Amino acid sequence: MAVNDANMMTVPPVLGVPSKGRLMETTAELLARAGLELARTGDARGYRGELRGLKNAPSLEVAFLSASEIARHLMEGRVAAGITGEDLLRETMPDVDEVAKTRLPLGFGHADVVVAVPECWLDVARMADLEEVAAEYHARHGRLMRVATKYLRLTRHFFTEHGVTAFRTVRSAGATEGAPAAGLAELIVDITSTGSTLRANRLKVLDDGVILRSQATLAVRNDMARIPPLVELAERLQSLSPGGMS
Amino acid sequence: MTAASDISAPILRLFTEQGFTPVDPPIMQPADVFLEKSGEAIRARTYLFADPDGVAELCLRPDLTVPTCRWHLAHAPDPSAEAKYCYLGPVFRYDGPRDDPLHPHEFPQAGLEWFGAGNTPRADAEVLSLAVKAVRAAGLEDFTITIGDVGLVRALLQDIDMPPRWRARLLRRLRRPRAFHATLDELTGENGPRARTSISPLVDRLAESPTMERALTLVEEELGERGLELVGGRTLEEIAARLLEKAQNRAAEPLPKEKAELIESLLAVSGPLKPAIMRIGKLAQAAGPNLKAAWQAFAERVERIARLLPDEAVAMTFDAGFGRTFDYYTGFVFQLEAEIGGERQPVGGGGRYDDMLESLGGPSVPALGMALHLPRLAAAREKEAAA
Repeated sequence: MAVNDANMMTVPPVLGVPSKGRLMETTAELLARAGLELARTGDARGYRGELRGLKNAPSLEVAFLSASEIARHLMEGRVAAGITGEDLLRETMPDVDEVAKTRLPLGFGHADVVVAVPECWLDVARMADLEEVAAEYHARHGRLMRVATKYLRLTRHFFTEHGVTAFRTVRSAGATEGAPAAGLAELIVDITSTGSTLRANRLKVLDDGVILRSQATLAVRNDMARIPPLVELAERLQSLSPGGMS
Repeated sequence: MTAASDISAPILRLFTEQGFTPVDPPIMQPADVFLEKSGEAIRARTYLFADPDGVAELCLRPDLTVPTCRWHLAHAPDPSAEAKYCYLGPVFRYDGPRDDPLHPHEFPQAGLEWFGAGNTPRADAEVLSLAVKAVRAAGLEDFTITIGDVGLVRALLQDIDMPPRWRARLLRRLRRPRAFHATLDELTGENGPRARTSISPLVDRLAESPTMERALTLVEEELGERGLELVGGRTLEEIAARLLEKAQNRAAEPLPKEKAELIESLLAVSGPLKPAIMRIGKLAQAAGPNLKAAWQAFAERVERIARLLPDEAVAMTFDAGFGRTFDYYTGFVFQLEAEIGGERQPVGGGGRYDDMLESLGGPSVPALGMALHLPRLAAAREKEAAA
């Protein structure tokens, strides 16, 4: 990719880490178990920090970012590595492997990106049903079925792969699961860990509607995969729980 | 250096001399039309945006065929009468972050659309011949021609006995080879139409007495018991009707394997024209009247092409799978390729799209057209001139 080529020599050796919430706490705990300390530097609320305790470097610079920013910064070469969800990595980049082939699943933050339709669609179980329903809907109403989601790329790709083309995506920032009941969309693509939010909104996941099984992941840019502090970080995290990383 | 603008003038002159009227449809187009009409190749490459109110979804036109159709429906005094249009203007296609001369995000396209042309094989041959002349007028001598016919496999699907719902599904998936193949597999498989899914228990109950009346009652009861409201824009009748079809299809036999093989064999035919015609003729014997008729039209078209383009016809190749992933074509399709930078690149193409005007709310009028990628044409000519 042109953007990456241009920046190849200038990617700073910085690790992107979630800036808040349970993702940040679990990340800090995990790093602590790996014998590393995640410290904020300067202002206590600042967005800069460092990772201490590495053998082959005094410290590794850390940028505290939102989980989706981490994926984008990684793609744009503004951080060398990052800890974020596999779902966000795949949604943000056209080809994740091209940017960051080294991806270490960290064993927390499990959630699935799924296709969910109204439970009242008693005749719909699989993507093949959805393909028919979407085509019928368009023929009958003269409008395309709307899919509310924040995963525009993943949705388009998955639907097209299953032959579903009579749809359009509606960008949704939050509370996606409420979109069908509110009349803003007919169905949704969203992330779910237990499915309880979907059930509460009377939505059901299609039998073959799991787009991606996601979890928190350490992703390292291909052009930075060999720098010693990042190699060491990956090794330490990998050795933490043998076999339990996936 | 040959600029796209240097070669556009003689091309446009040729088109107007042949009776095509220049038109200039809007660059911004409603997105829905393109999203629904286009194959996945174009779909993923179209620039989409909303108007400032956030209401209307718009796109930058990825080609000029749909815009010309819409222009025709809006402006022609009688949209069902014959009309011939030509155009020259920018189109927009995202092709990854690279934006090089061979894969520009914005480039000029020259082309023509012909609505309500009479004799089908002759019009097909004439449009291909015009494309060849246009490429020559641009100064390119060395190019190859591939032709295909989406109508053949459509005809074959009509010949094969199966529930209409299956045929409709295969037709919708024709443009997506992988999904098409998967559907064929599913329909021939022992478990295909009878596979158990999460809604099978409900279908089982309806299959005991598969009537619309029973379907409606069943859906109503089920929604009531589970306290479900109707959301998602579909009516109770729509849901009941599909459920009923599923219950009725329970009894349908899977698609015979040899029929699926016939479809795959037809799609696999490719190579020089003459043997391809013979091979399809043979397949038509095993199929039925629809494929036979489509084959005869195909053979007649090839004959017309050979008459109009005797030199080119010799080296022309046929590819039955070709054109499937292209947008909206319904019959004859063709592509012109030239060598640029050591690679064969499409410099132009076209075909027949008889369903388009009607699906845009107009009359049922046959249509065909072609368009040329001017920067690639200029690059190919440049290379040829240097050699």
